[in-house]
This record gives sequence, C-alpha cells and structure tokens, in this order.
Amino acid sequence: MELYQFIHDHLYFNRPDLEIKGERFNSTILFSLLTGLKKGKELIIGEPGLGKTTSAEFVCSLIYQFPLGVIWGSEVSGHPEQTEEKIVGRPDLGKLNRGEEDVVWTNFSQIPTKIVDEINRLPETKQSMILDGVDRGNWEYLNEMIINEEYCLFATANYQDGGTNTIIAPLVDRFDVMVESRYPGANLSFLIGKSNRKDHILRHVKYEKELHRIFNAKTPYEKKIPLVEEVCNSFGEYIHETLGVKPLQKRDRQQIRLEMDDTDLDQDASAFTRMLLAELSFCDRYGQKRSLENCEEGCHYTGYLCHEIKNCASNRLPISIKQYGQALAWLLEDSEVDIEHVKSVIPYTLAHRTQWKDEIVSQRERSKRDDPFPIFLAKEAVKTVSQRYREQSEHLKDALAVGSKIFQGESLEPLEGDHPLYAEIKKDLSTQRS
Amino acid sequence: MLEEKRYQAIIDELWPKLKKKHLYPEIPIPKVGEVTPSAAEEEEQGEAVGLEMKQKQITLNSTFLSRTREKMTEEGVIEALLDHGITHYTFCPWDFHTHLMLYAEAKKVMGDKEMAKQVANYFIDVTADTYCVKKRFTEIPELHRVLKKGAVEKVIASLYEKIWGVDLGILDSKAAKRGHEEIVRRLARIPYLDRSRWPESMKKFARSLKPLLLEEQKEQEAIGGKGDSNPQGDHDLNSYSYEEIDQGLRDFAKKSMALPEFKDIVEDFSEELKEAGYGMEGGMGRGRGAPIDADILFYMKLAESYSIPLRKVPLEKKGYLHPHSHSPWEVGSPFQDMDIWTSFGKIMPGITQIWKKREGKGRGKIEGAPDCLIAIDSSGSMINPRKNLSYAVLGAACAANAYLRNDSKVGVYNFSDAPMGGRDVLNFTDHHEDIYRVLCKYFGGGTALDLEDLVPLIHGRKNLDLFIITDMKITNLESLIGFFAQIQNRITAVHIGENPYAARFQRAVEKKRNISIFTVKRKEDIPHIVLGKINEYFGATCKD
Amino acid sequence: MKGNLSTKKGFTGTHDKDNRGIRNPFEEFDTFTFHKTQIPLDQIIESTEVVMDQIRRGYEKLLEEEAKELVWMVQYNTIIKAYEVAEKHVREIDYSAEDIEDFCFALENTQKIPYFIPGPAGLYISALCNYAKEEEILLKLSELKTEINLIGFRLPKGKRLVIEGDAGDFTGIGLEGGELVVEGNTKNWTGAGMRSGKILIKKNIGLHTGEWMMGGEIYVGGRIRGLGNIVEGKVFEREKLVYPGKARHPNLYY
Repeated sequence: MELYQFIHDHLYFNRPDLEIKGERFNSTILFSLLTGLKKGKELIIGEPGLGKTTSAEFVCSLIYQFPLGVIWGSEVSGHPEQTEEKIVGRPDLGKLNRGEEDVVWTNFSQIPTKIVDEINRLPETKQSMILDGVDRGNWEYLNEMIINEEYCLFATANYQDGGTNTIIAPLVDRFDVMVESRYPGANLSFLIGKSNRKDHILRHVKYEKELHRIFNAKTPYEKKIPLVEEVCNSFGEYIHETLGVKPLQKRDRQQIRLEMDDTDLDQDASAFTRMLLAELSFCDRYGQKRSLENCEEGCHYTGYLCHEIKNCASNRLPISIKQYGQALAWLLEDSEVDIEHVKSVIPYTLAHRTQWKDEIVSQRERSKRDDPFPIFLAKEAVKTVSQRYREQSEHLKDALAVGSKIFQGESLEPLEGDHPLYAEIKKDLSTQRS
Repeated sequence: MLEEKRYQAIIDELWPKLKKKHLYPEIPIPKVGEVTPSAAEEEEQGEAVGLEMKQKQITLNSTFLSRTREKMTEEGVIEALLDHGITHYTFCPWDFHTHLMLYAEAKKVMGDKEMAKQVANYFIDVTADTYCVKKRFTEIPELHRVLKKGAVEKVIASLYEKIWGVDLGILDSKAAKRGHEEIVRRLARIPYLDRSRWPESMKKFARSLKPLLLEEQKEQEAIGGKGDSNPQGDHDLNSYSYEEIDQGLRDFAKKSMALPEFKDIVEDFSEELKEAGYGMEGGMGRGRGAPIDADILFYMKLAESYSIPLRKVPLEKKGYLHPHSHSPWEVGSPFQDMDIWTSFGKIMPGITQIWKKREGKGRGKIEGAPDCLIAIDSSGSMINPRKNLSYAVLGAACAANAYLRNDSKVGVYNFSDAPMGGRDVLNFTDHHEDIYRVLCKYFGGGTALDLEDLVPLIHGRKNLDLFIITDMKITNLESLIGFFAQIQNRITAVHIGENPYAARFQRAVEKKRNISIFTVKRKEDIPHIVLGKINEYFGATCKD
Repeated sequence: MKGNLSTKKGFTGTHDKDNRGIRNPFEEFDTFTFHKTQIPLDQIIESTEVVMDQIRRGYEKLLEEEAKELVWMVQYNTIIKAYEVAEKHVREIDYSAEDIEDFCFALENTQKIPYFIPGPAGLYISALCNYAKEEEILLKLSELKTEINLIGFRLPKGKRLVIEGDAGDFTGIGLEGGELVVEGNTKNWTGAGMRSGKILIKKNIGLHTGEWMMGGEIYVGGRIRGLGNIVEGKVFEREKLVYPGKARHPNLYY
C-alpha cells in the first residue's frame, strides 16, 4: 500500500474510480501493482497521452527496482516493422561472420518487466511471439534459450483506429486484465502540465549504465541475474533514502507471492465465481457456448448471461480472477479472498474476453457511464450475477456441498435449481460416474 | 449537527458489517440528513420518515432517529433501517421494471392510481422485510415493534407476527381484531419470497387489503387528512436513476408487449417521470417540457430492444502495396523483398527477413448509410397502433432506428387513402419523436398511395433506401408497381400475410434486383426481417 | 427449488481406489452446512401448496372420470354425476375457504391447471364450498377473466357463499337452503331448480331465471332479462316482487 500511495501522490495523478472495502483506488495504479506483484499480463487502453505507458513504467520501477532509464531502454514499441531481432535477440554479428552462432539477447527479453507500447500496432505474429514468451517465461532464438524467473507484461493500446491492427481474440484472451488509463480531469491535468516532470526521481545514471553494461555483456544469462539483482538492490536503497519509499527486493516479491498464494477464496467467492463461469460458458442446446452458434428463441436460459454473449469463457479467466483476487486481498491485508475482492476484480478480467451480442451492444452503448464500454458491460454483468447470487447463495453452496458428498461416494441426489450451475454440477457428477 | 455526526459515525462503523451481510451491494455509504417531508409536515402528521433512497443513495432521517432513540438503541434503529433500504436495492423491487410490473398488477385490482401505488408500496415493504428477516440477522422486527401504526400498519404488523413468528405487541380492539383476522389470514398465504410469483402475489395482496384501504381512504377524506407517510420511506421514482428508468421502461414494453397496459402505467407515472427529467424533448426521452406520449414511448422502447449496432467508419484500400512487416525467409522462396539490414547482410534460413507488403489503407470517403424513406400503410385493414401493438409500426420503428443510429435521416410517408387526404408526410429528419409521431398516426380509411407525394421525397436524394410496410391491399397497386419499376433505389417491401395482391406484387417485381420482398407469416418475424435486411445493407458498406 | 439431502438411491460417486487421482472439484464445500432458516411463512406456504395440489388432483380426477376428451354437456344427469364425483374427492381434503378462492384463480393459469372446463370446474368449486369448514365463504373473483358456471350448486342450509365479481350460467341451481350472494352479474338459468334458500344478485341477471325453482327467494338488484318457468318461490327485482306477480312472458326482453 505504501507503493500505491507513493505513486498516487507523487507520480501518477489521477482520480480514484474504484471502491473496495471502504477505500478508494485508482484502477490503473491498483491493477498495475497487482500485475507486477503477481507476474500477470495487463492491457492498458486509453486515449493517446494519458499515461498508459508511464503508469506501467513507474510501477515496474518501484516493484522491480529498475531505474527508469533501463525500463525505457527495454521497451518494445509497437509498429509493423518490428522484428524478432529487435524484440528477442539477434545473432552476434562478429561470430556470425566467423560461422559461429551466438545470440545477443535484447534488454526486453532479459528484463523481468516487459512493456510493449501500442501492441495493437504489431503484426499478429509478433503479438503472438511476445505473449507466448511471457506466458512461459522462455525466449528462444537460434536454438538458444533464456528463462526468465520472474516476469510481467504491460501492453498498451490506443482505441482502435485506422492504421492499426486489432488484437485478435485468442491473443487478447491471454491478458489477465484490461484497464483504462483515464483522463484525470481538467484540474489534475493542468497540475500535471504545470509541475515539472517527475520521472527524474526514479532515475540514476550510474546504476542505469551499470545495468546496461550487464545486460549487454557476453556472459550467460544465468550469471547476469545475481549481478542485476545487486545493482537493483543498490538502486532500491537509493530510492529508500531519497524518497522514503521502500521498493521491493526479489526476496520480498517471492515472499509476497507465497503469502498471496496462501490466501484462499472463501466459499462465497468460490461459489460466485463458479456461478459466473457457468453463465459465461453454458448452452443447454449445444453443450457449451460457441461463437459460431446462435441462441435458439424461447430457450429456458434466456435470462442468463449465456444469452447475451457470443463466445465461451476461456480457462484463463478463472486463473486471472483467482490470481488478482488473491493479490487484492493481500494488498488490503485480508485473510481470505471474499466476494467483494472477486467482484472488484472480475470486470477487469472479463472485459476484454467477452464478445457481446449485437443487440446487447446496441441497447447499451449509449448508456451513461464512466468506464469504457467493454468494462462497463462487464461491470453490469457482474452486478446482475451478483443479484442472482444474493438470492440463491445458500442453496447454491448447498448444491456444491452435496456435489462434493456425491463425488466422495455418498448416495445422494444432486440438488435441482434453475441456474446453469446446477446443470453443470450434474454433468460433472455424471462424467465422474461414467 | 453533533447528533448527525454521531449517527454518521455509527453508520461508518456498521457499514462494513452490513455490506458483508448483504453480500456487498453496489451502493454508496449511507448518509444522515434531513429527509422530506419537512419538519413542519412531520409535526402535523406526527410521524417522521425514517429513510429515503435517491438513486441508490440512502439518507437516514436524523429526526426520526432522535425520536426512536427512547424506544430502541440507535445502532438497532440504524441497522434495521439500512437493512430495509439495502434489501429494496438487492431484492425487492431491485429495478424499475419490477416496480412498474408490481404497480401494474396492483392497478388491475385497485383501479385507482393512488391506491395502487399505496398497495404496491406496502407489498414491496412486506416482501423486503420478510426477505431480510428470513435470510439475514436483522433488527427489523424490533423496529416494527416501536413504529407508530395506523389501521393498515396494524394489520401489516399482525401479518408480520403471523409469518415471522414474532410478537410485535399489537394491541387492538376485539372488533377490529375480528375484522382483521381474515385479512391477515389471506395475506399470510402469499409467497412473498418467490419472485416468479410476484405478479399474482401482488394481485392477491391488493385484493386482500383493498377493503381496508378503501375504509381508510374514506376516513381520511372525512377528516381532511393526507394520510401518514411510510416511516420506512416511500418508494417513488427518485430511487431510480434516469438510465434505470429508461431500461425499466424498455424491459416493461418488451415484457408486456401490450400497448394499452404500457400506456396506462406510463400515463399514471407521467408526472413523476417528468420530474425525474424523463420527458420527450430531444427525441430520446430527456428533459422536461412536452408531455409524454405513451404510445410513441412504447414503440420507441420496444424498438430499442431490436436495435442493431453502429456501423464503423469504413476504411478504403488505396490500391498500392507498401512494405509492412517482416517475416522469416525460407529456402526456395524469392528473395527480392529481402530486408538486408534486418538480415544482417546474410542470406540464410533463420537470419534473413523479407518484407511482407500490404495494400495501403486510409480513411476512405465517408459514404455513410443512405437516408431512408419509410412508407407505412395505416389503412383500415391494418391495426391501429394506438389501440393495440402494431407489428407494422414496430417494424418501421426498427428500420427508422437502424438508419438513425447510422447517422442517416429518415422520412416518413404514412398513407391510407392518400388521394383523399389520408396521408401524412414527414420530410427527412433525424428527430426521433417526429418520426415516431408520424409512424403512429392511424387513418383507418381506404388504401391508396399518391405517387406525386413520393416523387419530391425521392427526387434529388442520392442512394435513398425505400422501406414500405403494408398488407398490399392497395387500390392503385399497379401504379405503385410501375413506379418501383422505374426507380433504382433499394426497396424493401414487407407485407403481412399472404393474399392475391401480395402475390401479384411479388410476380411483378421478382425480376428487379433492387427490390426485396418479405412475406411475414408470423407477426413476430417483422423485427427480425427488417433488421436482417438492414444489417445486410450496412454490412455491405462496413468493411471493418 | 426442489431437492434436499435424501438417502434415496440417486447419484453414487464411484469412490473406488482406482480413481484416487480424479480431483474433487467441489472439495472446498465439504465444510459447508446449510442452515435453513425457517419462518412460519415457509410452513404456511408449504401447507398451502400441499392442499392446492390435492385440490388440483381432485379436479383432474373429476375431469378424467366425467369429461372424457374434455367434452362435457350440461344436463341434469351429468350435473348430478359430476357433483357426486366431486364430493367424493373433496371430502378427503382438509382445506379452507381461502384455498377455494386460490383454486378459482389457479384454474386460469394453464401452467398449473391445463384444462379449465367451466361446468365441471363450477361443480367442483360448489362441492368445495359445500364441504368447507367455514359457514361463511367469501370468494373475491372480480379479476377472474372467465365467469364460473354452476357455482353454488346445492348450497346447503347454514352456509353463506359470497362472490365478489360476476358469475356465469346456472348459478345457484339446486340451492338447498343456503344463502348465495353475487356482488356482480350472473348469466342465464340462475337459481334453476332451487329448493330453498336465498340468492342475492347485486347487479343484473340473465334469462331463464328461476327455471323450475321449487322454493326459496331470488333478489336482483339490477335487471332481470327473463324469468323461467317457476314452480314455487319468490323473485324480486329491485325490491319489487316480480314473481308471483303480474304474469310475465318467460322470455321478456328489455
């Protein structure tokens, strides 16, 4: 929270737009922090010049103890002419002329904090390459490979306009969250314009040069890591002395991640998430939601989200919900991930993964809102499911409990109910039986 | 002021617990303040209102809290009031559509607008409180014990005693008790917590309470009083935001699909809707001013449920190729597009990169969607749209909406026996309300078009689309066919039912490629067909 | 929502040793205990549903026995027979006056009761009224879309049946000493064949009023469209005695 407060007060000026547990947060800073802590992948959208990249840079600098100069030097900017050589690595030209293969890795592939500016301007192949690399932490070139121990990805994108590629659905699904870096309002914007640039406080020429030297050195990547860590720790101490805020060292981050992983979802959070997933994937007629299949008229499940969407929820969605729910609960010093954490996080994990039907889009696109349209729709969806959950929570949890007992061998009947989740429980039990 | 601060501090302390209890409703932290009616009115009526909800903001009345302090702990009162208020948000009525539906059902029994509102409010309170008592641990019964009660409130309290199993200390004369027992017995049988049965429950509730309410109304009229405010707060349109009202009306129109019912309810709420800023100005239902035309609103809301999304600005390909991105070179593939810089001067697999070229794109000429002229038949053989749901008008409304949403203009030619003056012409406009007004007009006479009316509307307009909805029983059908044969505009003709005229029309124009005809066998097909065709039109111009 | 913990044979998890590897996706709910909070309302609703089910089943059995292929003709013998069958079923049910009213509304809901045949329905309701515990029964039927025929059939002495709203044909036929009040209109053949008792119609009445009535009184607050062939008894129209009175053609129309 100290880091959040510091960024909010000194670096990234914007209005709080999210309330959780009685506290107000700015979603961009909050989710960027959570992404950095949880090794996630975040897509930041927004109008040009509203601090999309800057917010990510500040967070990365404080969480991973990298001076801003190093972060800038390792960013990949999205334009169609980007090549694998500029993103991942290139052959050592001297050795290449001698007929030897050796790879000179880019800063981007070596540094744990990966920032891609305007990812939607990259061709699909390059988008896929980056997302694959961050997914696995492996970067390969010319049969050589480096493995990042920790990594997180921040990708920015302007709203779709002429001259850009779209990030296609299979790729956008790989992002854990999507947030908008908003306009801070005329007054804060004026303040930003009036005051001097703040980024110098996170710079240190000496450490930047040192880190550049280490990254460019022709030593194996595994040997560079402890050296990089040492310099980063020194930078972290410098920040602590000058600014009074303590960035996180590697062991701090590891400890935090362990503590986060230990934070479990309570039963309400779990049941609610399952309820939402059921509505986003269920189809009574066709077995599951599929983008190319249309809903039948008069379907019994017309009142649920499955009737409003085209595609099926991916398996990455519950992973993102859990990860960010845990991270948020940890940040708020709660012992469990409860339904409020999950409800706060879900819209941002869901917004970019859902394809809404045309009639839903057209009915709501002119609604008054503060959020960009995809996030607004996701928040509305969560509200609707939340109301259903409130009414059915006890019976739903009972259905899951009975399901567990049946799974363990008790001779019981699954509970009946109208919601798709009851059908899913039955399917799981009959699959297990057969 | 100090007291208010103290109450606010209690709320701040209780709020996290309450939020958790109600599974985190999406409402802001409640406040303490003055709640209407004013203090003077309260003095007159002798009872303060406990809370009010305006667009999800709950405000507790400090006067009420002070008064009940003697009978109940402050924390208890606050918790009970908040439980009640939150449950209105989370369970009953939850949204404006449900509120309207309950009111509509109550009105069927009560007949009178004010009494229907009153009984609907009672039902909502009973349902919300019962839900809270059953599902959550709450101080609501304790609050009811201390509240001042009139005759109706005593009956409701007796009902609570029966269905909650609590003692609320209802003291009543034997005579009154006898009369009320039957009412309480009836009320106790209603499944308040079954949302799916709320419509019939509402009617049953109203039926049972009606004699008592009529009695009370007579008594109030005799003494010249206005009746007590509900201490738990009244349920009026202030509780809903503009968007919630908009959505609620849309849902209500779609659910009921019955114009008379919709009209009746909207007219009953017309004052409140206007006060909430829901007028007819601007064509989109915003602003005060003009009275609400319920018929037009009905078709507007219903057509919104069948909208299609906005068309994106088309991109045009410029025709020339330019290097766009790199891809690896493979042995055997041509290397004239090789990028020697990124290939480090080498031609070898795994190193060499070639340029992939793409056609340049830029913002094309914004052609936009064409304007549309809608010709709608309002002769005697068609349904009067102001009496019953007219699928023809609904179809025309869907078409109009679709064009308007794509920034085109719509003209309307409403015809019955046009040569005899039975027609209305609206020049091309983007003003929703005017378009709907002309669409909803009903002449009910013979059926004949005056082609001279159409010519000036079509003449001079580039790429104008024509949309005609009729049952084809047009006296001068041959002239119309001849007219269509001459023009090149895209024409969509939608006709209802099979008849020889429609068959004749079909035969006559089947060779014309610019004319599409749809026979609607079921009236429910109209919105889908209309939208399908328009979507096709827009899809052709929208490449991205 | 139906279903709760039961030991009926149903799903049986295959908890055999070979399947140890399959993970239980519901495991975290093992510790959940369902605290079903009951309030008296639940009990009341449940027992009301049970009774309504029984009443509904009785009606369906009546239709099965008496309205083959859902066709039923109004004739003296069919009325008697249907009523006897209705009596038989009704005697076995423990119900209240409010249940009767609920049943009247349930008849209009085709999801609950698929077939509403006015004749047998009216006889069934009459049987329910006649065998109800209460001496006075009030049925608030103003919102019913269809008027029920044959209501008040053989209403016995000591019973008072008040109907808010309109009733259909053959209202109060065969009345046996009871008091039937209709606060709306009735149609034709009202009070036909009644033996004794009182019928009070607050508004208008149709044709063949009191046809073959053998005793008792009919009071009409509004207009009588036509009298039937009355054997004995009295008929009043707006407090004026019209039978026995000046001879009136049975089918006098206004």
